[in-house]
Amino acid sequence: MSGVIEIEGLRKTFRSLRRGRRVAVDGFDLLVEAGQVHGFLGPNGSGKTTTLRALLGLVGADEGRMTVLGARAPERLPQVAGRVGAIVESPQFFGNFTAYRTLRLLAVAGGVPVSRVDEVLEQVGLGDRGHERVKGYSLGMKQRLAVASALLKRPELLILDEPANGLDPAGIREMRDLVRALAANGVTVLVSSHILAEIQLICDHVTIISRGRRVAAGRVDEVLAGFDRNECLVRADDLARAEELLRAAELTVTAHADHLVVGGVPDPALVNRTLGEQGVWVRELTPVRPDLESVFLELTGAGQHPTVPRQADGTPHDPAAGQLIDLDIRGVDA
Amino acid sequence: MNLIRAEAQRLAARRFVQLMVLLLLLAFAVTAATTLAGSHTPTSAELATAQQQATAERRDMEREHDRCLARDRGEAWAHEGNLYLPPDCSELDPAQRDRLPVTADYLTGVFTFTQQAESLLFFLVAFLLMFGFLVGASYIGADLNSGGVVNLLLWRPRRLTVLGAKLGTLLGAVLVLSVLASVAYLVTFWVIAHVAGYPGPTDAAFWAALAQLWGRGIGLVLLGTAVGFALATIGRHTAAALGAVVAYLVVWELGGRIVLQILEVARPDQLLLSSYVAAWIAKQVRFYDNSRCTDVYYSYCDSTYLLTWQPALGVLLLLTAGLTAVAFALFRRRDLS
Repeated sequence: MSGVIEIEGLRKTFRSLRRGRRVAVDGFDLLVEAGQVHGFLGPNGSGKTTTLRALLGLVGADEGRMTVLGARAPERLPQVAGRVGAIVESPQFFGNFTAYRTLRLLAVAGGVPVSRVDEVLEQVGLGDRGHERVKGYSLGMKQRLAVASALLKRPELLILDEPANGLDPAGIREMRDLVRALAANGVTVLVSSHILAEIQLICDHVTIISRGRRVAAGRVDEVLAGFDRNECLVRADDLARAEELLRAAELTVTAHADHLVVGGVPDPALVNRTLGEQGVWVRELTPVRPDLESVFLELTGAGQHPTVPRQADGTPHDPAAGQLIDLDIRGVDA
Repeated sequence: MNLIRAEAQRLAARRFVQLMVLLLLLAFAVTAATTLAGSHTPTSAELATAQQQATAERRDMEREHDRCLARDRGEAWAHEGNLYLPPDCSELDPAQRDRLPVTADYLTGVFTFTQQAESLLFFLVAFLLMFGFLVGASYIGADLNSGGVVNLLLWRPRRLTVLGAKLGTLLGAVLVLSVLASVAYLVTFWVIAHVAGYPGPTDAAFWAALAQLWGRGIGLVLLGTAVGFALATIGRHTAAALGAVVAYLVVWELGGRIVLQILEVARPDQLLLSSYVAAWIAKQVRFYDNSRCTDVYYSYCDSTYLLTWQPALGVLLLLTAGLTAVAFALFRRRDLS
């Protein structure tokens, strides 16, 4: 594989006297290719931030191979650090420093022209408040400042851990526009978030992690297609008769109080024709498409069940969850 | 170089550092003002009287010594006045005294630079030591706590370089501040002595001794700064450094000292860090060892022993280097959040 970010078999275990041994990441793989806006999803405590920290050399990995822009991480990170902008979890800053001073110190340390500070402050919408002390900032403003610090060195690769954290709806939209603009300029973006709708809107690729292992990866539309059961929501003037006719046509039907969910329907016209021919009139016929949220919940919900064997690329799995491994393989091929 | 520049700016911008510098200036101003207010330029009459008193005192000392020598020679006049004379006359030899009475000893209400310079310098060194330790601990402690180190490592992912740059910048800044503060401090009091006091007799030996004391003091300040930095790095928090020092003082310097005395351990002061600090600053310190002369009742026994600056420097350097090495080793491998 050749990607901007490559992670193979990452494993990290935390040990503490109080909490004992805790496996945070367990043989995780990730591939982000140039130009992608890659969503990195997982429930709280699934290992997202640990993965990003390990990738950026902030925590030591127990096993695994990682590269960033072709350089082995963390050993060769210094060679490419100037091309990588990153924020990890909720970044903290000295409250008594202004945003301008905070960024200026980073610019000086990184050999970036100080004139860039005003540009990035403007870019993230802090242009008029850059000379205020950070302790007066809201969470969203601190988040913008963190993004500004990541943008300071005009990165080729941007790693954003929960960038929308604390942002209001307008801020989320601005962040979305910013990421899109960066991607349009050729910046590869890896963005971790729990706001799934947001990821679906801005990302072209996605990797889902659960309990330290990858449970899905690939193009967003492919991942969603993997969970498309060709279902339709049906409302009709005679629901009982409709159910009877559809079952007779060997379709899977789940009855609800005021509607039916019909599965295994490659073309909704089949439902319309089947019912119409028998004089049952359809009031509503809506194809049910999976969204990232339902996929995420399904995958990570299974992942959180302790009795179900963990799924990861190339490992044997529970047949009951058969779809996952196929999806992973497809994701890797993509 | 960029990193050091950025760290120097970060250090200078820290509120705590600014507060400590302000405190230093305040302490400096208060000391100077009270000295100025409590001193006056001696009149020629005061000077003459003081000179006469010093001369008389020196003459008396010489007479006592002569009387002692006369007693040894068996001359009768030695017993006039029935004064006590020690068995060893060298104890009275003025030439062997650390210092002889000088004019300044007999000037009251007059700030005499040569007499006060040493204690003024001790005060300054003590303040700078506290400054260096606290600033060193808070500089890295706050950075580790606030995520500043993580932010920096995202830019410069070389842990040892980053920590080394921080320590180097810190030591450099403390050294520069210490030199500037010392010069300003001594020059101010030198001027006060000239304007509203008495400079005293200064010669090359005086300045050399003062320079040596200053050098040892600045060395101690730098060691204390490095120790504060290392302890806070090890403990990941400013409070860890303060806690370690308080715990050491209470548990070992106070509690341990009592236990050592109860157990009648030989030369207990040798086991206490404060002894080495004192020996380093004072060049040498003489301690009593109660376990040494327990069986001697009728003959003379010297129960003291000397701790000189050389082993003191060795111990202090070893401690500082050890703590710093542990701090760097831990920081190199540690998971950062």
